[in-house]
Amino acid sequence: MAHDLQLSHIGKVYDNGTPAVIDFNLDVEKGEFIAFLGPSGCGKTTTLRMIAGFESITSGDLLIRGKRVNDMLPEKRPTSMIFQNYALFPHMDVRQNIRFGLDVKGMAAAEADRKVDRIIDKLGLSDVVGMRPSRLSGGQRQRIALARSLVVEPDILLLDEPLGALDANLRKSIQSELKLLQRELGITFVFVTHAQSEALALSDRIVVMNAGRVEQISPPRELYTRPKSLFVARFIGANTLIPGTITQLNAGEVVLQTAFGPLMGEKNDMLAVGDNASLVLPAESVDILPADISEAARQDYGTNLIPCKVTRAQLIGHILQMAMELPNGDVIAVEGHADKYRGQFAAGAQAFVAWRAARSTVIKH
Amino acid sequence: MESRTLKPVLAAYLVAFILFLYGPFFVLGILSFQQGPDGGPQFPIIEWSTYWYRQIFGLTPPSRIAPLPVGEALVRSLVLAFMTMVTSTVLGVMSAQAFRRKFRGSTFVFYLIVLGMMVPGVLTGLGTSLLANNVIGISRHWYTTAFATHVAYTFPFAFLVMLAILNRFDGSVEEASWSLGVNPWTTFRKVTFPLIFPGVLSAMLFAFTLSFDEFPRSLFAAGGTEDQTLPLAIYGTFSVEIHPNIFAFGVLTTLFSFALLSVYGILMALSVRRARKLAMQEDIA
Repeated sequence: MAHDLQLSHIGKVYDNGTPAVIDFNLDVEKGEFIAFLGPSGCGKTTTLRMIAGFESITSGDLLIRGKRVNDMLPEKRPTSMIFQNYALFPHMDVRQNIRFGLDVKGMAAAEADRKVDRIIDKLGLSDVVGMRPSRLSGGQRQRIALARSLVVEPDILLLDEPLGALDANLRKSIQSELKLLQRELGITFVFVTHAQSEALALSDRIVVMNAGRVEQISPPRELYTRPKSLFVARFIGANTLIPGTITQLNAGEVVLQTAFGPLMGEKNDMLAVGDNASLVLPAESVDILPADISEAARQDYGTNLIPCKVTRAQLIGHILQMAMELPNGDVIAVEGHADKYRGQFAAGAQAFVAWRAARSTVIKH
Repeated sequence: MESRTLKPVLAAYLVAFILFLYGPFFVLGILSFQQGPDGGPQFPIIEWSTYWYRQIFGLTPPSRIAPLPVGEALVRSLVLAFMTMVTSTVLGVMSAQAFRRKFRGSTFVFYLIVLGMMVPGVLTGLGTSLLANNVIGISRHWYTTAFATHVAYTFPFAFLVMLAILNRFDGSVEEASWSLGVNPWTTFRKVTFPLIFPGVLSAMLFAFTLSFDEFPRSLFAAGGTEDQTLPLAIYGTFSVEIHPNIFAFGVLTTLFSFALLSVYGILMALSVRRARKLAMQEDIA
């Protein structure tokens, strides 16, 4: 069966010659929740707008359900877009906004009423149907925009930073609504965001973009634990990167010669002896050991121990966040469950940062 | 305080300015109530009367002073102003819409359009008349050649008004509409146009009033007596002898203009109040 959405070598160059998107490849299954994640100006919104038909495609093929749609007008595409600023029609009330797409298509009034009622009910908008959108909160407005788009039954829903204008609490609750809605309707969502927490919480797969290029396409967990590029390692999560040179490839692990001596990380196919590479250390993979730890306990970590000084220890809920100063003066962020450490580390204490080789990735420069 | 000395000075300046602006009009207004048919266009007022107003509407017995030949000219001017308003506003909206996207030669086209309001009217009028008579060989009429010059003159105003309006217009509502499967024309009718309507109203007002009292272009581009517009007809009466009936007529047309402006003002206030209400609610929300 054909994919719901296929981007094959998609490229976009602006009229002035600046490339915006370079060789974008992605196959999306029906019902998948895809997030485009990246810093502003990375080309994620441009790509979304190319899928919607608002931007022309310079090269490559865009297929929706197996059909090439490069030159199809936006109104002919089975896509619908949700905007950060809601883009509701200010001169229509909520119900008119939602009905607009159906009315213009000339759908029979009774059928349109039925569909509109159903979506209004599903999104909990029954109390506000007669109001102008401008009288409603941001969360309500984005629900109206969702209802307006979903009522025309698109194959693919495109969301351009839909939660960007909402405050933090509201964002969380709309996030989970969005996820439920998507699961229930089973339609494909393509979601653009610069907030990694959103992408990690919502999507089946994340496309990380940087400077017009795709850096990595992975499920959230894998992106977190197995970043494939230095950009992703720096952009996602709170990782510490320790540069070095690969000196040894063992069965499951590699040894890197670094400023802190030989350190070990998980092996992967792209590495060879002599490569310059960085060891990626996720904040939550690091254990803090007291300075007087026994030799036996140290065995578990091999050479992955670096002596350090606690410069800050802060309890945030169950999580203890610590800043550790390494021998070379670098300060790294570390976090762990508060119970695990039970207040043994105050600021100023000497300790070790340690980790198991399997919990850190090595990326070639 | 600076304002203690500055304020009265500015106030006095404002009064002087307003007197300068409206003084002549008040004089004409007073003289329009001169006694008739013997009273002339000068002070003192012999006796207050509405004779000259009645004379315009043909309610006075015939006298040696011919009634103003304005009836048909007024109709012509109103029809011409209406035609010009519709044409210029449609063109203005369309061309401003085109300028939302950069296109090759857009700067050139911009100046080409704006040129219409820059060139001296006498030249446009004369040029059009020469072109019609000597080059193309068609006769001049108020609804052909004069109409063309009026559109060339008022179209840039409508265009600039719409350009300013569309400049602040957020296009994402249009994209939202397209992505709901609505074609661009329906999107324009049902989404864009209702939202830019206050601007369209302003463009219409500009085009109408500019055309209604346009003189130099009409002078050459309109044909003979059969084709005279109101300003031309009035000017024609000056060359014989001036009677206060012209003043009475001036007062009436001014009142008409005020009526037009009031309608515009009311429509505008309504739409602005609605917009403000929306904006206020937006702030609260």
